[in-house]
Amino acid sequence: MAHQAHSYHMVDPSPWPIFGAAAALLTTSGLIMWFHQNSTLLLILGLTSMTLVTMQWWRDIIRESTFQGHHTPPVQKGLRYGMALFITSEMFLFLGFFWAFFHSSLAPTPELGGQWPPTGISPLNPLEVPLLNTAILLASGITITWAHHSISTGSRKQAIQALTLTILLGFYFTALQAMEYHETSFSIADSVYGSTFFVATGFHGLHVIIGSSFLLICLLRLIKFHFTPNHHFGFEAAAWYWHFVDVIWLFLYMSIYWWGS
Amino acid sequence: MAEDIKTKLERYKTAPFDSRFPNQNQTRNCWQNYLDFHRCEKAMAAKGADATPCQWYFRVYKSLCPTSWVTTWDELREAGTFPGKI
Repeated sequence: MAHQAHSYHMVDPSPWPIFGAAAALLTTSGLIMWFHQNSTLLLILGLTSMTLVTMQWWRDIIRESTFQGHHTPPVQKGLRYGMALFITSEMFLFLGFFWAFFHSSLAPTPELGGQWPPTGISPLNPLEVPLLNTAILLASGITITWAHHSISTGSRKQAIQALTLTILLGFYFTALQAMEYHETSFSIADSVYGSTFFVATGFHGLHVIIGSSFLLICLLRLIKFHFTPNHHFGFEAAAWYWHFVDVIWLFLYMSIYWWGS
Repeated sequence: MAEDIKTKLERYKTAPFDSRFPNQNQTRNCWQNYLDFHRCEKAMAAKGADATPCQWYFRVYKSLCPTSWVTTWDELREAGTFPGKI
């Protein structure tokens, strides 16, 4: 008897998990070598292997699901739990950085001049580019909802347009943030202000780039007819992630950019 | 409490309880009095008035602050890089 008597997915043996672990080790130790020994070899090896593993692992998942049909409703439910838990863990990551920010800014030390922003720091005007960035991300939240709705109603052309627009808004945000980083009068080395500002917004920016990449893959899959009106969890996962990135930005904007100025 | 500042200074033993800083960490108490003394001096000098009342803040910060902090802050003021607003 060759068929399974349950609707779960017993995955075939795969090298990607262990290679992914090795890639993570190379990347993390590569970061250390870059920070402390001014050497980028290990980091480049790490990032390259990470890219290769993620591309092949997710390609295999698409093969197993879209092409081979292994993602039954219970399997999809498990994936939903997984994505929700992952996003929750990322939320805790940012919680740590917000904790650090409030720890230092609510009771500024004498070294900072007993004030926040510290003496000598000219923060960015929250009503200029940061406000535009807020509008961009909020708009992208609307366009991605439009895209989702279009997928659910089988409106192919609209879905492609809406998702493309979402991605373009994401790129626009990243470009503007990069320009802002270039324009600040302070750097990461400028007291705890610089540290909290660049670590929190920097990790956020990284997540925007990751989210945009995820959305871009979804766009390619959408064009190649991978999604059906009832089954498109890859897109939903990307949408959840994107909304999460938007929410983190809103908190960043309110606390670091606005209250913190 | 219409006590003369001179009498208060004569009676001074150590920094009294300041309800603005009720907790164990008294850093802000030291910092605030250091700032207040120098602001008081600056303000009185600008008005050409007697700076004796400022001595209260001087006594308090001398009682509270670690000497190394005071030395460091005095040096920063000398160099023009003191971060506080005086």
